[in-house]
Amino acid sequence: MTTIEEHPVVTPSGIGDSPRRVEDARFLTGQAEYLADVRLPGARHMAILRSPVAHARISGVDLEPAKAMPGVRAAFTGSELAALSRPFSHLLPIPTIKPLEWSVLAVDKVRFVGEPVAVVVADSRYEAEDALEAVVVDYDELDPVVDPEAALVAGAPLLYEDWGSNEFLFVPFSSGDVEGAFASAEHVLKERFTQHRITGMPLEGHGACGQYDSAAGRLLLYASTQQPHNLRTVLADVTGLSEAKIRVVAPDMGGGFGNKQHFMREEALVAVVAMQVPFPVVWVQDRWEAFSASVHSRDQIHEVEVAYQGDGRVLGLRARIVADLGNPVLYFTGAAPALVTTGLMTGVYDIPNYAYELHCAATNKCPIGAYRGFGQPQAFFTIERVMDLVADQLGMDPVDVRRVNLIPDEPRPFVSPVGFLYDTGSFREQLDSVVDAVGYRDLRARQQDERARGRYLGVGLASMVEATAPNLHGFAGRFGGFEMAMVSVQPDGRVNVVVGTKSQGQGHETVFAQVASEVLGVAMEEIDVRSGDTGVLPYGMGTWGSRSAVMGGGAVIKAAEKIRDQMLDIAAHMLQTPRAEVTVGDGVFRAGDATLPFGAVAGAAYLHTFLLPPGTDMGLCVVASYDPGNTSPFPDESGRLNPAATYATASGVAVVEVDPNTGQVFVEDALMSHDCGRIINPMIVDGQIQGAFAQAIGAVLLEEIVYGDDGQILTSTLLDYLVPAFGNVPRIRALHRETPSALPGGFRGAGEGALIVMTAAIANAIADAVKPLGVRVTQTNLSASRVRRLLRAAGVALDPVAGMRFRGLNLPVDAS
Amino acid sequence: MRLSFSVNGDDQDLEVEPRELLLDVLRQRLDLTSVHAACEQGSCGTCTVLVDGVAVRSCLLFAIQMQGREVRTVEDLAADGELHPLQRAFSEHHALQCGFCTPAMVLSALELLEQSRAPTRPEIEHALAGNLCRCTGYTSIVDAVEAAAASLAGRP
Repeated sequence: MTTIEEHPVVTPSGIGDSPRRVEDARFLTGQAEYLADVRLPGARHMAILRSPVAHARISGVDLEPAKAMPGVRAAFTGSELAALSRPFSHLLPIPTIKPLEWSVLAVDKVRFVGEPVAVVVADSRYEAEDALEAVVVDYDELDPVVDPEAALVAGAPLLYEDWGSNEFLFVPFSSGDVEGAFASAEHVLKERFTQHRITGMPLEGHGACGQYDSAAGRLLLYASTQQPHNLRTVLADVTGLSEAKIRVVAPDMGGGFGNKQHFMREEALVAVVAMQVPFPVVWVQDRWEAFSASVHSRDQIHEVEVAYQGDGRVLGLRARIVADLGNPVLYFTGAAPALVTTGLMTGVYDIPNYAYELHCAATNKCPIGAYRGFGQPQAFFTIERVMDLVADQLGMDPVDVRRVNLIPDEPRPFVSPVGFLYDTGSFREQLDSVVDAVGYRDLRARQQDERARGRYLGVGLASMVEATAPNLHGFAGRFGGFEMAMVSVQPDGRVNVVVGTKSQGQGHETVFAQVASEVLGVAMEEIDVRSGDTGVLPYGMGTWGSRSAVMGGGAVIKAAEKIRDQMLDIAAHMLQTPRAEVTVGDGVFRAGDATLPFGAVAGAAYLHTFLLPPGTDMGLCVVASYDPGNTSPFPDESGRLNPAATYATASGVAVVEVDPNTGQVFVEDALMSHDCGRIINPMIVDGQIQGAFAQAIGAVLLEEIVYGDDGQILTSTLLDYLVPAFGNVPRIRALHRETPSALPGGFRGAGEGALIVMTAAIANAIADAVKPLGVRVTQTNLSASRVRRLLRAAGVALDPVAGMRFRGLNLPVDAS
Repeated sequence: MRLSFSVNGDDQDLEVEPRELLLDVLRQRLDLTSVHAACEQGSCGTCTVLVDGVAVRSCLLFAIQMQGREVRTVEDLAADGELHPLQRAFSEHHALQCGFCTPAMVLSALELLEQSRAPTRPEIEHALAGNLCRCTGYTSIVDAVEAAAASLAGRP
């Protein structure tokens, strides 16, 4: 990341500048309003009783003792609420997916520790939780199945008996001549890679606050959701109310990272309960709930076979992917990231002969779903490990093997084996830029020197191509790949922009003001940007999949251009000049020497409408929709589709030192080249890169969700699940390439790339470091204790006392 | 139980239950929503407030323990609508994204800057080590505190 000195504030600011963020003031002074800060008068607090066991039949729920407790206003069982609502389902008309419906609470069975079973509403959260302890639930425990491969074996305990198995979804695919590739190849490599379970863990958890006006039949729901309009559609399904009667408001959000893009049972639960009581109901997820019963991610097993030639060229790739989905009660389906994994498995390499089998397994664990990267970190970890392993086998440099296989610069779009249309810049140039910038040859030389001294440096490379601004229809059975925005100019000339995306920290109030400013020709300071309220904008698709610049930007540009054109017509009429001679900029309409302030033209549209050209509508307000038109809502008969409006790319390198005695990994350097097309706010993009890089550090070196064999979650606090803290994250150096997309603005997605590429680069660096010790890295969980296990398994004798002196980092001494 | 304490310079006199956390009294009873709950176990630092000038976890204190003490939250920092130099430095250096950790981060930094005029980067990291951030990746926060220290000490 560049330092802030490289982002001076320029006035006036437009696209490409780094104005400081409009939203900062309220976050810094405590005036932001997050979900738990919403104060609906008379609101009562909901607490959720959750299953303490991983797999059981519910034979009885007795709420009477709870209802008698102080402060309790209401309590409901799963059966009661199921009768008052309609169930969720995955809505995917795929022949190889199992039928699945689930209600806001578990009814007949619980299938993971933390699954919601009953609710109590009381005057305070304290009293509600007191009452939970009085609820009596009879659980008839069943054997749990925790391992996804064991779950797929005949005879395993079944989560859903009517399925006859635990396989939720099966997808086969083949492209090109895979058999021929393997038959003709000089070499075949087989390997098994595992991707461990982690969780996105936004610092602010989920939450919802609902109020039902029974006289008017109107429901208001505040929810910490990345997709408020889509949530409204889902709530209409579950509650039976029309969307015309539902308003969803997503307030300020303390992070999301994909965890908040699914439509949570608990959000619908709050809505359904709110409809049964005469006061607002609020539920705020606590940290234990967030760990045990929110959204987990990654958790896949890849068994790959690679057919390759002696010069490093990969001819064919086969992958058998087992994706652990936990109890798959998530909408849109938690199978979505695994489906994306299958699409990116060939990486940035030209491997036309590609076949996969995806097996999505249900297990007695928390549901799996979206987290920044959305299945892509898994794919790139594997293919980038494959490139290094091929290099090892052939005694080639890992850079050279990659160069032999990279997707060539022509044609564009490049059609991947699964039908993705890569509209990107040069993969070769991007990789070369990173190899040069890091001083690769010198690094390798230094690595040799250090090895001779018994120190283990590792250099890890990775490249990625990312589907950004995707079409959600294929995963959700509806919704699509479009966006909406409303631009209004007020009588005084100031501008309101409402966009259907939803910031969880990405600075949209600043970024979209920059975009609108450039189109309308007025200063950013004159533009107010808002989002998240379904009562204001007809529809939106939210923020996820690195889509906001592309899709939100596209919709804002479209609406702003229409407004600008309307105002140019009015200005021309007011100036009595031909339309073609009028321009707008710096807040002024100009025709030769004649000028009109922006506000004067706006005033004419509202206050002095006799000034308008005949036949012109009053007011200045446009609601525009934007669909790039190049994404598929679902695969074709051959299983191919192009899901993304445009693609971002990155190449990265990590340099690590691994202590052979403790398994500690020190990240010495991290560098990446990132191409997100035309950058709107470089400071914000650099912030996304540094933040995503921190999550990559966490994903490899620190974070791991662990379950016991009995299905108990063992990592349910921040003392067990370690997220990066100060001192864990070095500054990543980011080089920017701007290959404009063909879409309005020339933007591509920016938010996820660093997590995708640096997860693979860090893992490769560790693998490279420990190779001489006889360790072959085929897993993503590489914390110190995990690396120690690998070292021991390779027969390395550990000397922990020597490890205390690693890099001169002695045990800390408190000087106070 | 009767609790008398000072919050952001104002005297407060409240009836509280023994088990009510300081976090909840500040948020629910005094509407100081800058204080955020994120773990309620003392492991993330998001609920940090200053008690008699010392940064503490409001989720690990009962409100009644504040008897006779002075509590300070970030609502007290911007005087007359002007951001404190530390707050300005956070914005200047893009040291916040979602803002959820930010009030606590600012208060922890404030405690450091009241003790040290020129903290080094490792000292800043050590002082703030109890505050988690999931968005920024930390380097911009250290930049901001370093810059604020210089600004407050009159250094360029």
